[in-house]
Amino acid sequence: MAADRPAITARQAEAFASRLPPLLVAAERVAATVAQGLHGRRRVGQGDSFWQFRHYVAGDALNRVDWRQSAKSGQPASAGWFVRETEWEAAQTVCLWRDSSPSMHWRGDGTVEKQERAGLLALALAALLLRGGERVMPIHPGARPVVGRLGLERLALALETDRDNAGLPPDTPLPRHATVVLIGDFLSPLPDIEATMARLAATPARGYVLQILDPAETALPYRGRTRFRGLENDGEAIVPRVESIRDDYRHALEAHRAGLAAICAAAGFGFGVHLTDRPPETALLALYAALAPTR
Amino acid sequence: MILVFPWALAALAGLPLLWWLLRVTPPTPRTETFPALRFLLNLRATEETPARTPWWLLALRLSAAALAILALAHPVLDAGSALPGDGPVLLTIDNGWASAPGWSRRLAAANDVLDRAERAGRKVALLATAVNRAGNSPAIVAPMPVPDLRARLAALRPEAWPESRPVATAALRGWSHPGTTTIYIGDGLAGDGFPAFAEALAATGAVTQICCDPTPIRVLRTPLAEADRLVVRLSQTPQPVATQVGVLAQSGDGRILSRATIGIAAGEAAGTAGIVLPTELRNILTKLVLDAPPSVGSMVLLDERWRRRPVGLLSGDPIAADAPFAGTLFYLNRALGPYGEVRTGDAKTLLERQLAVLILADRPLPDGAERTAIAEWVAKGGLLIRFAGPRMAAAEAPDKLLPVRLLGGDRQLGGALSWSKPTGLAPFAPNAPFAGLIVPSEIAIERQVLAEPDAGLPEHTWATLTDGTPLVTQAPLGAGRVVLFHTTANADWSNLPLSGLFVDMLRRLTAMSAGVTTGAEATVLAPVETLDGFGARTPPPLSAIGLAANAFAVTPVSAQHPPGLYGPESNRQALNLGSAPGELAPTPPIPGSRQEPLTDTPPEKSLAPALIVAAFVLLAIDTIVSLMLRGLWRARLSAAALALLLPILLAPPARALDIVANPALATRLGYIATGNEEIDGIARSGLSGLSDFVNRHTSATLVQPDAVEPGTTDLSFYPLLYWPIVVDAPKLDPAQIAALNDYMSRGGIVLIDTRGSGSGAGFAPGTENALRRITQGLNIPVLAPLTAEHVLSRSFYLLTDFPGRFVGEAVWAQRDQDRANDSVSPVIIGGNDWAAAWAVDAAGRNPYAVIPGGQRQRTMAYRFGLNLVMYALTGNYKGDQVHIPAILQRLGQ
Repeated sequence: MAADRPAITARQAEAFASRLPPLLVAAERVAATVAQGLHGRRRVGQGDSFWQFRHYVAGDALNRVDWRQSAKSGQPASAGWFVRETEWEAAQTVCLWRDSSPSMHWRGDGTVEKQERAGLLALALAALLLRGGERVMPIHPGARPVVGRLGLERLALALETDRDNAGLPPDTPLPRHATVVLIGDFLSPLPDIEATMARLAATPARGYVLQILDPAETALPYRGRTRFRGLENDGEAIVPRVESIRDDYRHALEAHRAGLAAICAAAGFGFGVHLTDRPPETALLALYAALAPTR
Repeated sequence: MILVFPWALAALAGLPLLWWLLRVTPPTPRTETFPALRFLLNLRATEETPARTPWWLLALRLSAAALAILALAHPVLDAGSALPGDGPVLLTIDNGWASAPGWSRRLAAANDVLDRAERAGRKVALLATAVNRAGNSPAIVAPMPVPDLRARLAALRPEAWPESRPVATAALRGWSHPGTTTIYIGDGLAGDGFPAFAEALAATGAVTQICCDPTPIRVLRTPLAEADRLVVRLSQTPQPVATQVGVLAQSGDGRILSRATIGIAAGEAAGTAGIVLPTELRNILTKLVLDAPPSVGSMVLLDERWRRRPVGLLSGDPIAADAPFAGTLFYLNRALGPYGEVRTGDAKTLLERQLAVLILADRPLPDGAERTAIAEWVAKGGLLIRFAGPRMAAAEAPDKLLPVRLLGGDRQLGGALSWSKPTGLAPFAPNAPFAGLIVPSEIAIERQVLAEPDAGLPEHTWATLTDGTPLVTQAPLGAGRVVLFHTTANADWSNLPLSGLFVDMLRRLTAMSAGVTTGAEATVLAPVETLDGFGARTPPPLSAIGLAANAFAVTPVSAQHPPGLYGPESNRQALNLGSAPGELAPTPPIPGSRQEPLTDTPPEKSLAPALIVAAFVLLAIDTIVSLMLRGLWRARLSAAALALLLPILLAPPARALDIVANPALATRLGYIATGNEEIDGIARSGLSGLSDFVNRHTSATLVQPDAVEPGTTDLSFYPLLYWPIVVDAPKLDPAQIAALNDYMSRGGIVLIDTRGSGSGAGFAPGTENALRRITQGLNIPVLAPLTAEHVLSRSFYLLTDFPGRFVGEAVWAQRDQDRANDSVSPVIIGGNDWAAAWAVDAAGRNPYAVIPGGQRQRTMAYRFGLNLVMYALTGNYKGDQVHIPAILQRLGQ
């Protein structure tokens, strides 16, 4: 099952991403790490797209004069000459992390595994980004940024082989001013999460945190005497009547989520929740909106 | 109901303990994996009510346990009471012929005894009181455990002969086990030596007599042959009320040719009834069977004695006896020849062989060896028929072998010198053997010999002239009879021999005679086929030995001589249980015994298996419920289980299909429903058989036939309608007439069958009138008999006649050709009962015998049906076949 999963997921993600226009990540900062890319920085620089004409000033290389435009001006030489300038185009690195701890390998009745949904969303986002010319880098030790269509395949393979049980992104060096997208269930204790987010914010990095939950985890739909067993060696609990603790459980989950949102806001990250019984497009749109250029 | 192990009920006391245990043990929780367990761990302490097993589950488990305990106590329903005594049980069973009718009841009673003995742990000995088929005399099977004895009991069969009470008595006298309980299941027939037997039985121990069948013991005696009938006789044990029982006369292939009912008045031990059958049918009878449970006593095999009646002819003038139209034996030969074996020769030669009837035509019998021999033969049962004539009239000394004394000379009626006119015959008296024969008016007797007037003369007279003088007289002589015709056997004295009445009278007389068998008297005939106790034919048992041919009438049935057929094919004789006369004496109660009736007691039923099954069902339900409580019983699983179980639970019941869904979809035959269930059934199975035949032999495809009702059903889909006529058929109403006329005018064919009204056998009397009644208003065209030239005889097979169940009656079809409908006759009328010939029952057999019979007749009947279907489907397509001879002739030129 695991062997054929990457290809399928990559294809699914590609099909999925083709429904949205290329996602442009707002490049707010100019960083030294930016490499030559496809998208304009709204300033003059090296690139292929036309930016503006300006009058010839002395010292401009003659081969930069746009002779056709100059001829149309009808003015004498030198004063009527125009130089053609192009827009500076550059690419940004987006760092992706997807939780692959055992608690993600779980699904309730009639839904998909959280892990599967998280992988799909991560790859769809990556596909969009790669089509937009961005560089995408998975967050795990020794990862390299990938570019282009072939990069998506490599990314899918990397995500699939990634098996850490921490439940939180590892402490690996990230490009400065990178955009970081974290997808997981984030059921770890809040202090652990806070520490991780603080480290990320210090990189510095900005980004988005998407919490993926199964509807059964929010509603606790069980009844009667039930023995609950954890997935990450966290013991088990016998609950005599599940329906009696349902409200308390919901409150506890709400509190956790509120804490999570507060931590993300403090670190300058966006925060969203996605339930696996919803269509993945909604989550991708939320990510799209969060990463799209802010004007 | 009793409990075999009542102490097992003590375990019920443990139920409260079980209840307590079950109650305190909570059901196993269902298990779920859950990622967000951390939040639950913090909430855990909020509520901890102890889970209890639901009360209904508790009740379910307790009832399962209670049922299992009840089953262990082994309750038995309808159990008999315990047997008295504590020693072995001696089970004595009568298995003679009289036990066959109620054998299943006897076996049930014996098994009941075995059940009771088995419960008490007692051994059982068995004594069957009849000699068995291997020829072993009755002996007591030593006491053995019940399971071993059951096999022996199951192997026990009623034998075809009576019990050997003396031998059984001797066996009982040798029994010496203290504390014996004796059960005697008797057949109710005392036989010989019953008192000694009863005494010996009573000496063995406490006797319980289980007796007897509620129905009387019946034996069908060998019948008596009379002139126009077979008198069947029945003996039975006297009953306090009048009883009636039917007797079926069957032919060799199992057909029932006639049925008679014997009524026996209250307190009487015997009754008779007559079976009237034409001689042809009487001669193919092979057995008489009581309409009662099968038993050898309710069956009589008929052998050659009831059929072959050789007639010897002896003339006073041997030289001119056969002269055409004048000889004394000429007319006799012509009259008897077609119906039996006629022998001629001198008296010595004739009497050397077996003879049923001896006819002396004008042959005086003076004192001498010949008369003595003939008189002896008559006394042994022969029938002597004598005809008068000139020689007898002229005889000097009065003849001693005559039924009446004759006046000398003869009387002439009419003639040149007489005023009187030749006289005719008076109608026959109803009790004479000639009763029922019609006397033609043209018969005239011109001369006769006269009987001496005598007070006893009328009772000797079987036929008289219109003036009252006797024409046929008779007198018994020993076991036989002497009959005298007071006129000649040729046309010299009367024209009686020229009439058909002469033939009928002779046949009646011949049929009255005792049958004979050929072969020398003392030949020992080996048993060929014998009857078992139920009257079924079996190979002869080991005990059977041969029997001299002349001993059949006097030999009682025994293991050496079981009832059945003996001797080679040419000389077969039957030994019947009813051959030997004797009273059927019922058994008296055994002194000092307990009496139990032999009734249909329901067999013991053990409830334990049912209880165990119920307990298991409850446990299965409990398992499912527990699984559901633990969440292991998934909807998909239960659906799969249901899918497996449902086909078993809801075994699809056979469902009748709507046969008349849409008659236009396939070709089919139809029959007009008469409302008489039997006739409709015959028509239906007949057309169904014909459809099968057509499907097998032609490319036409017919589906199952339909019943139609003119006026209601749309007839246009049926190419051919079969219409059996019943006697009480009502007149058609205008709507039906219109529907049928419309059907016939548009090319439909109606085959009207009066079902044998004209066959002479009288199977469906009165249908001719019914036919006249119902065809009023129908447009029946001018009809002509079908010939071999008609298209109907050429349309598939080449036919010359059109047989059904009967043969020979003319079949009528339209005389004139009607070009409008392809020259197809709209109606075909006949009385050959075709549907019965075509009929095929569920087992694929033909349930109705064709008459006179033979596979060829049935095949021809089917071929006629096929031709008819082809005629209906293709019209005059084969019409030119009729002209083939003419065409060939023309081509030849």
